[in-house]
Amino acid sequence: MGSSIRWASFLVSAALLVSCKTQLQPTVNKVQYYQIDANYSIDSAIVKYYSPYKIQLESEMNRVIGFSDAHLTKTREAESLAANFFTDALLWKGQQLDPAVQVSFATKGGIRSDLKAGNITVGNIFEIMPFENSVTVLTLSGKDMLRWADYMARTGGQPASGIKLLIENKKVKEFLVQGKPIDPNQTYKLVTYDYLANGGDYVDFLDQVLDRKDYTQRIRESLMEYVSELTKQGKHIQATIDGRVRIIE
Amino acid sequence: MEEFALLNRRGFIKRSLLLGAASVVGTLPAFATAKGDFRLTILHTNDVHSRIEPFPLDGSRYAGMGGVARRSALIQKIRGEEKSVLLVDSGDMFQGTPYFNMFGGKLELELMSKLGYEAGTFGNHEFDNGIAGLVKYLGKATFPFLTANYDFRGTLLEGKTKDYTIINKNGIRIGLTGVGIDIEGLVDPKSYEGMKYLDPIPVVNRIAKMLKEDKKCDLVICLSHLGYKYDDDKISDLKLAAQIRHVDIILGGHTHTFLDEPARVEDLDGHEVVIHQVGFAGIRLGRLDVILNKNTGKKQILARNYTVDQRYDKQVMA
Repeated sequence: MGSSIRWASFLVSAALLVSCKTQLQPTVNKVQYYQIDANYSIDSAIVKYYSPYKIQLESEMNRVIGFSDAHLTKTREAESLAANFFTDALLWKGQQLDPAVQVSFATKGGIRSDLKAGNITVGNIFEIMPFENSVTVLTLSGKDMLRWADYMARTGGQPASGIKLLIENKKVKEFLVQGKPIDPNQTYKLVTYDYLANGGDYVDFLDQVLDRKDYTQRIRESLMEYVSELTKQGKHIQATIDGRVRIIE
Repeated sequence: MEEFALLNRRGFIKRSLLLGAASVVGTLPAFATAKGDFRLTILHTNDVHSRIEPFPLDGSRYAGMGGVARRSALIQKIRGEEKSVLLVDSGDMFQGTPYFNMFGGKLELELMSKLGYEAGTFGNHEFDNGIAGLVKYLGKATFPFLTANYDFRGTLLEGKTKDYTIINKNGIRIGLTGVGIDIEGLVDPKSYEGMKYLDPIPVVNRIAKMLKEDKKCDLVICLSHLGYKYDDDKISDLKLAAQIRHVDIILGGHTHTFLDEPARVEDLDGHEVVIHQVGFAGIRLGRLDVILNKNTGKKQILARNYTVDQRYDKQVMA
């Protein structure tokens, strides 16, 4: 009974009396509750109906698509294993969609879970990326690439691939794209996702992009394809902390 | 904010139950009934977002709450108690759990049909798999979708939705229409290509007038996925209500607003429009009891919410 009471948060809210026409009756406000041992149950016919879907869903969620040698943690550090995995996969997909893509960018807040060592399932990818965001490729001026670097520097580093960024006192000390310094007269292609391109997560440096292409390809699907592709090649996920984003203490 | 209100209410109710569990009964608040009175019970959901099963018990905000099987049991119980029950939804049935990613909305529509939904409208997430994806399983729904301010002419959805429907419950005529949000900016443009969004105010005014004056409906309900309230000029349920005539009730969605009591807004004629919305994910089932008196033309609307949680698993847990 005690636990039944604990569970019994079923509620019927305050009664409210309204009149839609003239001649209002006195308003009666009466809060009412249902007795906890009243005779309710779940509708087992409904559970039975969706059970085959649930079984199919669970078998899909439990489907193993790859293997990770290490537990990939997501942290608030400048670099994390989960962030590097995520952005390497994003860069891979971006370059598949547009070979001119050089860098990828995500944010720490958008990576939602660790990826455990061992077998990687579809469900694990749903956990790390539950959102329905899709791939966006942006063309940036060299100047805006430097604004991107400034954003990452002042926010303590962000998930990225294809770059090397050294941060000192929240300022950019060194910034290389594919091993080269930024040429202010050149344009660059960056792959990210629609949410960030739209200015989500306080992204303020993407307000002057030269070109934008939105793809229907979801980020989650991209991660799954990346892991499946590694598996097909007989490889494991081997994310490392490689110093791509580093804060000088 | 919403969470705070909900938790406080839950805490309050728990205490109340501990104090007097034996004395409370599951009957309706007393209504003064008069000769010619007719009672209609409206049950409604919004933004269920593919939440087939309850939220997992993982300590998160809504852990263990919601679930279609419980909602079904509750609806059946109410149908057993009330003579006239109407069940409707205000959109965003789709997207939010892998059930949608895997089955494309088929299961959501099949289950809503099994629960006996009588009308719905489209939320922006209904377009997540494009118009083609939406059309694919629309036939699984045994009830109409009311999308009066979406012009689907020339698209695959042409002729597959309605502007309004009239439902007769024991001699009372209920006129229903439905309006959706301007999805530009919310949805990939390719996903709604060819669809035209129309200003909901003139659309609702035209249809509601027709329902009340020409079709002689006793009650006019607007299902809305416009959203309850915004800080800017964007059209919302509150703004819509103030700029229309002939609508008695707006059942809203989109903003995932947990209204503990419906809002009341005066329309252009000074009549009160009742606006309700019940959060999201099937955590709550909304209930409005409408008393109509054919002789006096008087209408009363009484509202309450059901929080759908483990309460409904009692027999299974036992």
